Amino acid sequence: MQERKTTEHSPTASGAGPDTGREVAVELTGVTKRFGEFVAVEDLSLDIYEGEFFSLLGPSGCGKTTTLRMIAGFDEPTEGNISVAGEQVRGVPPYRRPVNTVFQSYAIFPHLNVFDNVAFGLRRAGVQKDEIRQRVTDACEMVQLAGFEKRRPNMLSGGQQQRVALARALVNRPKVLLLDEPLGALDLKLRKELQLELRTLQHEVGITFVYVTHDQEEALTMSDRIAVMDSGVVRQVADPATLYEFPHDRFVAGFIGQTNMFSGRVEAVEGDRVTLRTSDGEKIEAKGQEAIEANSEAHVAVRPEKIRFGGDGDNVLSVTIEQVVYLGVSTQYIAVRPDGEKIVLYQQNSHDTAGPAEGERVSVAWDAANCLVLGG
Amino acid sequence: MSAKTGGPVYKGVGRIPDRALLLFSVLIYAFLYAPILVLMFFSFNSSRSTQSWTGFSTEWYAALLRDETIHQAFFNSMKVGVTATLIATVIGTFTALALTRHDFRGKLAADTTIYAATVMPEIVVGVSLLAFFVATLIPLGIELGIVTIVIAHVAFTVSFVTIVVRARLAGMDESLEEAAQDLGANPTTTFLRVTLPLIFPGVMAGALLAFTLSFDDFVITFFVSGVGSSTLPLKIYSMIKFGVTPVINALSTVVLVATIALIFGGSRLLVRRENS
Repeated sequence: MQERKTTEHSPTASGAGPDTGREVAVELTGVTKRFGEFVAVEDLSLDIYEGEFFSLLGPSGCGKTTTLRMIAGFDEPTEGNISVAGEQVRGVPPYRRPVNTVFQSYAIFPHLNVFDNVAFGLRRAGVQKDEIRQRVTDACEMVQLAGFEKRRPNMLSGGQQQRVALARALVNRPKVLLLDEPLGALDLKLRKELQLELRTLQHEVGITFVYVTHDQEEALTMSDRIAVMDSGVVRQVADPATLYEFPHDRFVAGFIGQTNMFSGRVEAVEGDRVTLRTSDGEKIEAKGQEAIEANSEAHVAVRPEKIRFGGDGDNVLSVTIEQVVYLGVSTQYIAVRPDGEKIVLYQQNSHDTAGPAEGERVSVAWDAANCLVLGG
Repeated sequence: MSAKTGGPVYKGVGRIPDRALLLFSVLIYAFLYAPILVLMFFSFNSSRSTQSWTGFSTEWYAALLRDETIHQAFFNSMKVGVTATLIATVIGTFTALALTRHDFRGKLAADTTIYAATVMPEIVVGVSLLAFFVATLIPLGIELGIVTIVIAHVAFTVSFVTIVVRARLAGMDESLEEAAQDLGANPTTTFLRVTLPLIFPGVMAGALLAFTLSFDDFVITFFVSGVGSSTLPLKIYSMIKFGVTPVINALSTVVLVATIALIFGGSRLLVRRENS
């Protein structure tokens, strides 16, 4: 219990790197899943810690749902091993695994009312009648569905069905709760509400959540750690801030938030300072992340909000403003470099001074520390 | 604009075809139902004639109630219908489950033969089943009779049950079964608690279809029945050989009303289940 508390309240400690002090809830080692010729998941190794809100993030077809289904037991890995709460689960059928799933389609039993839906797992486990009543009532209260016990699923809204699915899974007190894009079918406002609710709920119950989503914003909002997946491979596992500030490769940089990418040849490497020459002769100073050699091809990225107007900085470019988009809190500028490449930047609308207008020629600048060399 | 000018023109052109269509529809319905209505009408005739009306009477229904051989045929039909329906529904339901939920070698072939069986000429099925029984059951001491009729009826109704149940299964979200397993239900419990309740309307529809097919089957039954095992359709046929009497009309009316009641009642029951 004490252990859980420390992990919950120190999201920064849950960054990349092995943390031997914590219990591993789900461990995947060298997991590969093939469907005929198609490789859905390739050599995947992950440690998901107890009490953690862990997200599998990636575009559709990246293998995130397959990974979840292998943990649940609906698919068996072609190679590799999975253990849940320290026990190997190969060959263990879904109904004997200490995990529960919230399905994308909710999968609420349409022939049972809310109470019987939530009680389904407890009845299978042979829990006493009185205890079932108590636990189902508590679970319904927890997801704000008290008083809905006698309702039929077809009389519930999408959001309410989602809550039933959640209560039905959590009432069994699983070691791990698996969630497969549970908010995907809801409208934006409800989704935002439920994101925060889910996060709060996870803190309250302290159960490990493994959350599958293709929505990077959702993953950033809710997770302690995120595994970014692409084509069956994990590209990076890190906490949200690290993922955003220090993406490993071009895929992660492009998938999480917006980014400006430059490609070119490495001219010089000095400590962690890298000098890149783009194809049109522009010189860009960047911060190296990994061993990088002079004269090799490389890509660097800078986030739109790290670029400012003016000629003061490690990197200065002269651009023409093409489009100005007012976004309330900030303004987005889309500018064109002399070679025709576009560059996006954001400015906070915290000052009274107006920014440049469309068609204006201006200088933009950013620091090498905010410009990362990317792999891949 | 074009709607404004096009509207009346379309209406003017439409008037004659509309009436022609109505007339055509009436004729079609008359063609379909007039003979049946005439049959029902003459079952209440007071004379032996099935052509000229002489007055209202229920004497043919009374005659129906007195005829022991008709009772026997009716009970045979019920025995065969109920038994064959039960067996065919169980086999058909599990066949449908296998074809939708599992992959196995020869699945396509199994699938195709199921569909082919529904369009197989009955005369072929009847002759082949008779040959089959003569070669297998009769040497074992089982005579042609109720048993062979039941086997034959199961054989030709199973495909229909399979197709109906399968349609229901195809419309069912597979993640419901996964959810049940996820919540600790083993495959048997999953079937009994989730799959079966959800496909039940399909199973019932399949059973009703099997029963009505079995109850009024003539051709196949004709080949595989033996002495004393006449079903109702066979009995009616043998009665007609001695001339059409209003008793046959009365009997046909009873069978018709019973069948309609069964189908209608069954579907009402299913609709109510769905809505609850």
